[in-house]
Amino acid sequence: MNPAIFISASVLLGALFALAQWISLRHMGYHVHPSIILEAWGFQFLASGVLCWSLWRLLGPQIQRASIRSWIVYFLPLSIVISVAEVMAFVLLFPGLPMNRSFNTYRERLTFYLYSDLFEDVVIFWCAFFLFRGVGYYQRYRENERAAAQLEIQLANAQISALRMQLNPHFLFNTMNSISSLMRIDIDAADTMLEQLSCLMRITLERGDAQLISLRDEMEFVELYLAMQARRYAGRLEQDLYFDPELYDALVPAMLLQPIIENAFVHGLSKIDSGGTLSVEVRRNGNQMRVCVKNSGRGLSPGAPSLANRHGVGLANIRSRLKLHYGEDSSFSMVEIDPKNVQVSVLLPLQFSPDAFEPAARYGAQ
Amino acid sequence: MIRAVLADDEVLARQKLLQLLREEQDIEIVGECATASETIQLVNLTKPELLFLDIRMPDMDGFDVVGALSAHETVTMPHIIFTTAYDQYAVRAFEIHAIDYLLKPFTFERLRSAVQRVRERIVAPEPDTSARAIELNGAQYTTRIVFKSRGRILFLPVEDIRWIRAEENYVRIYAGGESHLLRETMGHLEGRLDPQTFLRVHRSSIVNLRYVKEVRSEPDGEATVGLISGEKVGMSRSYRSRIQRLLHK
Repeated sequence: MNPAIFISASVLLGALFALAQWISLRHMGYHVHPSIILEAWGFQFLASGVLCWSLWRLLGPQIQRASIRSWIVYFLPLSIVISVAEVMAFVLLFPGLPMNRSFNTYRERLTFYLYSDLFEDVVIFWCAFFLFRGVGYYQRYRENERAAAQLEIQLANAQISALRMQLNPHFLFNTMNSISSLMRIDIDAADTMLEQLSCLMRITLERGDAQLISLRDEMEFVELYLAMQARRYAGRLEQDLYFDPELYDALVPAMLLQPIIENAFVHGLSKIDSGGTLSVEVRRNGNQMRVCVKNSGRGLSPGAPSLANRHGVGLANIRSRLKLHYGEDSSFSMVEIDPKNVQVSVLLPLQFSPDAFEPAARYGAQ
Repeated sequence: MIRAVLADDEVLARQKLLQLLREEQDIEIVGECATASETIQLVNLTKPELLFLDIRMPDMDGFDVVGALSAHETVTMPHIIFTTAYDQYAVRAFEIHAIDYLLKPFTFERLRSAVQRVRERIVAPEPDTSARAIELNGAQYTTRIVFKSRGRILFLPVEDIRWIRAEENYVRIYAGGESHLLRETMGHLEGRLDPQTFLRVHRSSIVNLRYVKEVRSEPDGEATVGLISGEKVGMSRSYRSRIQRLLHK
C-alpha cells in the first residue's frame, strides 16, 4: 500500500475521533477551540499510522514469521518502548494538554498521559501486529492455492499431450504402411500420399502444443486425412461433410475428429466392400457445438464389451480429453442407429478464441 | 528451350528434380550446384532462364543468392522456383517475385504446374508496362495470392480462380480441382481483384468472367451464373443487368 494513502487514512480517522470528542464536549457545555482537539487527535493517529507503516515496511516479514518466544522477548518490549516514546512525543508537542488540570511540569503531564494513553498505544501496536500476521497467513494461503491450481493445469496439459502422442504415431505407421505398399504398384499415388502425409505432419507441427484449435484448422486436417483415406477406399466410399461456417473460428480440442473418423473406418467402413457412407457434421446447437460422425458398415455387435476395449484407445482417449478440457460440460456418445449404421456424437461448449485470427493471405501484383 | 540450373545441397534432392524434369521436353538442365556461391557463379556463367533454388544451403541461403544475382547488372535474373522443406520463407519468396514455392516432398503434379507457370511467363513476359499503367491509375490489382492451404503453400494466380464464395468470416476460393478456405472478407478481396475480370454477382459470391458460360433464369424468377466447369452460382437480381452487359460486350 502507498504510505501516503495509509497515513492520510489514519490521520483522517484521528480527525473523525477529534470531531466526535469536540461534539461531545460541546454537548456537555465545554467550549474548546476545535483546532487543539484536532491537532492532538491528528498527531496521535498520525503517529500510530507512521508506526504501523514502518512496522510493516521494516518488520513485516519478521512479524509474519515470529515465533511465540520472539513475541515475548522481542515484540513485547518493543511495543512498550514505542508506546512510551509516542506518549512522550505527544506530551512534548502539546504543552496545553490536558486541559482544566493543574499539571505544570512535563513529568506530571507525562505521568498523567502514561496512565491514560499508554495502554491504548500498546493495544494499537498489537492490533497492527496481528493484522500483519493475518495478512501474512492470507497471502501464504492464496499462494498455495494458486500453486495448486497451476499444478493441476500442468498435470492436465501433460496428460493431454501424452494422449495426443498416442494418436500420432499410430496413424503415422498405418500411413507409412500404405505408402510402402503403394510404392510397388503406383509410384505417383505413393508420391501423392507421401506429400499428403507431409502436409498433415506440417499442420501438426505448426499447431505445436496448442490444445484447443479453431474448427477450421481441424477441418483442414480432416479433409486431408479423408483425401488419403479416399484413395485407400477408392470407389467404395461416399463422403459427406458439413461444417457450419459460423463455427469456423470456434475452438475444439486438437485431433478431436480424426480418431473418431479413423474408428469409423477401422470398425465400420473397412468391413464392407461397397456402398459405404461416411458423414461428418458439425453444427451449432444452442450454445453448444454438436459434432456428429455417422458411418455405415457393421453396427456395434450385440453385447459388445466396453467401448475402450472394443474400439481401442482412440475413443477412450477423446473421452478423457473432453473431460479434462470441459469437465461435465461435454458429452460423448456412440450409438447404433440401425443395424448397419453407427453414430458418434460429441457435444462441446461453444467457445471462441479471444484473439482474432489474422488474415493469412498476402496479395501481390507483378 | 528453357535452360535451368538446379541448386540444392542434397544430391538426392537434385536427382529427384533431374528425373522429374526429364519428362519435360523443353527444359534443359545446364548445371547443378550444391552451395550458394557455386550457384551464383554458375548462373553468371550460364545465364539460365530458370533456377530451382533450395533455401537452406551450407554457405549462404537462397535469398542471399537472389540478392547477389540482382546486384550483377550483366545477368538477367532467372525465374526462380524455390524448393525447400521450410514453410516459413514463403512470404519472402513471394515478395521477391519467385514463380513458385515447392515444399518438399512435392509431387510431379506440383512441379509440373510450377514449370507451366514459367512457360507462361516466358511466352508472355511480365506485363511490365500494363502493371505500371495500373499503378499510375492509382489502383493496383492483385495478380497472385499467397496462402497456406492444407499444409501446402500456394502462389495462386488470380486467373486460376473460377469463383469465390463467402462463408461467414472466411471466403472459399474455387480454383483448379479444389477449393481453399481463406480468412478474408468479400469486400476486401473484391477490392483487390480487377473488376474487368471479377464480378460480384451476389452478396456472397464473386465470379471470374472468363469462366462464365451463361446466365440463366430459373423458373422461380431467380438467376444463376453457369460456369464452364458446370458449377452454378446464385445471383442477385440487382447484378443481373451488369453481368449481361459485360458478357455481351
